[in-house]
Amino acid sequence: MKKMDRILLRFSEENVEEPITAQVILELGIPIRIVTATIDSHGGDILVEVPAVHVEEIVKAFRDKGVVVTFPKLIDVDCDKCFDCGACYALCPVDAISFDEDYSVVFDEKTCIGSPCGLCVNACPARAIRLVEQHSRNQK
Amino acid sequence: MVISKKGNGRTIAKINQKIKTGDAQVLTAEEMKKLVASSGVEVAYKEVDVVTTGTFGAMCSSGAVINLGHADPPIKIQRAWLNDVEVSHPGAAVDLYIGATMMSDTQPFEYGGGHLIEDLIAGKEVEVRATAYGTDCYPRTKLNTTITKDDLNQFYLLNFRNCYQRYVCATNSRDEIIYTYMGKLLPRFKNATYSGAGALNPLMNDPDYETIGVGTRIFLGGGQGYVIGEGTQHDPNSRFGTIMVRGDCKTMSSEFIRGAAFTKYGTTLYVGIGVPIPILNEGVAKKTALLDEEIFTDIIDYGVPRRGRPKLGKINYKELKSGKVTVNGNRIKVSSLSSLKKARKIAETLKTWIANAQFYLSAPAENLPTDSVCNPMRQTEEIAFVNGVTHAAVTCRDDEDIEAVAQRIISKSVNHVVVINKQGEIKGIVTSWDVTRAVAEGKNRLDDIITKKVVTARPEETLEAASRKMAQHHISALPVVDRDKKVVGLITSEDIAKLRGR
Ligand code: SF4
Ligand code: SF4
Repeated sequence: MKKMDRILLRFSEENVEEPITAQVILELGIPIRIVTATIDSHGGDILVEVPAVHVEEIVKAFRDKGVVVTFPKLIDVDCDKCFDCGACYALCPVDAISFDEDYSVVFDEKTCIGSPCGLCVNACPARAIRLVEQHSRNQK
Repeated sequence: MVISKKGNGRTIAKINQKIKTGDAQVLTAEEMKKLVASSGVEVAYKEVDVVTTGTFGAMCSSGAVINLGHADPPIKIQRAWLNDVEVSHPGAAVDLYIGATMMSDTQPFEYGGGHLIEDLIAGKEVEVRATAYGTDCYPRTKLNTTITKDDLNQFYLLNFRNCYQRYVCATNSRDEIIYTYMGKLLPRFKNATYSGAGALNPLMNDPDYETIGVGTRIFLGGGQGYVIGEGTQHDPNSRFGTIMVRGDCKTMSSEFIRGAAFTKYGTTLYVGIGVPIPILNEGVAKKTALLDEEIFTDIIDYGVPRRGRPKLGKINYKELKSGKVTVNGNRIKVSSLSSLKKARKIAETLKTWIANAQFYLSAPAENLPTDSVCNPMRQTEEIAFVNGVTHAAVTCRDDEDIEAVAQRIISKSVNHVVVINKQGEIKGIVTSWDVTRAVAEGKNRLDDIITKKVVTARPEETLEAASRKMAQHHISALPVVDRDKKVVGLITSEDIAKLRGR
């Protein structure tokens, strides 16, 4: 499988009515997968997955059209709280959690799929894991 | 004076002499195992004086004794809360015991006694609230104050059961996620959990308790503490030994004492313990060479909420530490609940302490028992289970037509027919009411009238749980199914009522 990167597209009230995502796909001829979207006529966010090799061109194309593009962090692990037990490890459906050779528990932030999953969050006895809310609607 | 014969073993006094002069040879249990593998037991015994061990896991039977000092006017506390966690008041006026599993009144399941102990050790200020009935000598009836550990006269960790020699591996057969003290278990054997440091565990390195007993000085929570006896439920014959420990919290560090929350189970305390094993003779040396692959434990189905949970197989700690186990023929991921990283750090820290003459060994005044047994509870009340009232279910196949089913309802004079497939697995349920309605509405396909999302019971469930399910779903019968979804019978609310009326 091709490596995919996640980017977060933030639309404003001014540009949300325009078919920008479709335009970028047509112009570049690169497929874009929509992971989650929270959007209405006042603007909102779309979380998309794009082929990692094309990420730069895609980000540029969106930015040229006035879309704010960020690289989202879907999960946040508080290292001070985490005591490397590994209770989270076996719950992850995409193998984003692993042990390194000194038994430290490591999260691969790029593999984690975030809020559609969230299985590890309430399994952490140290309450060290937090999903990072991606959508900014109602946060004006 | 007794002069020991030359070469006839080491003594703790001799080892302490070497610690004092900086000549003691100390290895962690992991290093010792490597040395034995490469050079043999004889050499390892000659070269090594002490082996250090470590474990860092959730230990629910933990807590701390505190003494607040007397108030003016004085109070004989009846009930008290620290940061909204109710603490118990087992003795005189201002002695309190913080139980690790006691939960906060305002943040239950998230903050509890374990967190409170951690916060105090970390130097945080906590709120104290207490009530009393008032006496002539202790007139006060209410108290509100804040304290830190520095304000306490005594602050001792006092744990009834710690450091299980080994523990089971848990998985779940049920159709739903269950939340247990063994963590979050996904439905239908999708994951497993285990606990314990395996070959690094203190008691596993001295499995016959030849060196550990009352008065053994240990690493406890980052400070020095003592074994004060065998722990509750100590079960040496099944290699489920435990220890009771005590240590001064004021010398501990929140790096090795952590409050924790198990979702829908409650709060607890993670405790770091390291025990030094003096290598008194070759036999003791040999036992410290035990490997993860030689320590076996059972894979247990926590989906069955009974004391005797079904065993699904055996597994060793080497496999557990690899992160994958085989359950029912499937490879699934297995999570550790205790921290191997911290267990190692504890063994390393204890090694450094001994090497730097900051820690001396102590001979036990009495060894841990090797013959005690752990009995189940004596119960005077009879508990009824589903299998006690289950009767044969009237069944039909999912490809039969409604008329045949209607016939069966009449001839067997029942209200419920359980629908099964060729393999005998449950597919749904049909009631006499469903059939009547189907006839009235002119339907003739069985498939249209089956209730496919059936609430079921398991034979080993309590009747209380089964009748709660019926009440919740407003139904009057539950098909009884085994772990493979095969129908083994039916229970009805009538059966339960009859039993109750007995
Ligand atoms: S949220 Fe899901 S995908 Fe992300 S690390 Fe946790 S279990 Fe894995
Ligand atoms: S469950 Fe929590 S404490 Fe344990 S390793 Fe995962 S993030 Fe760390």
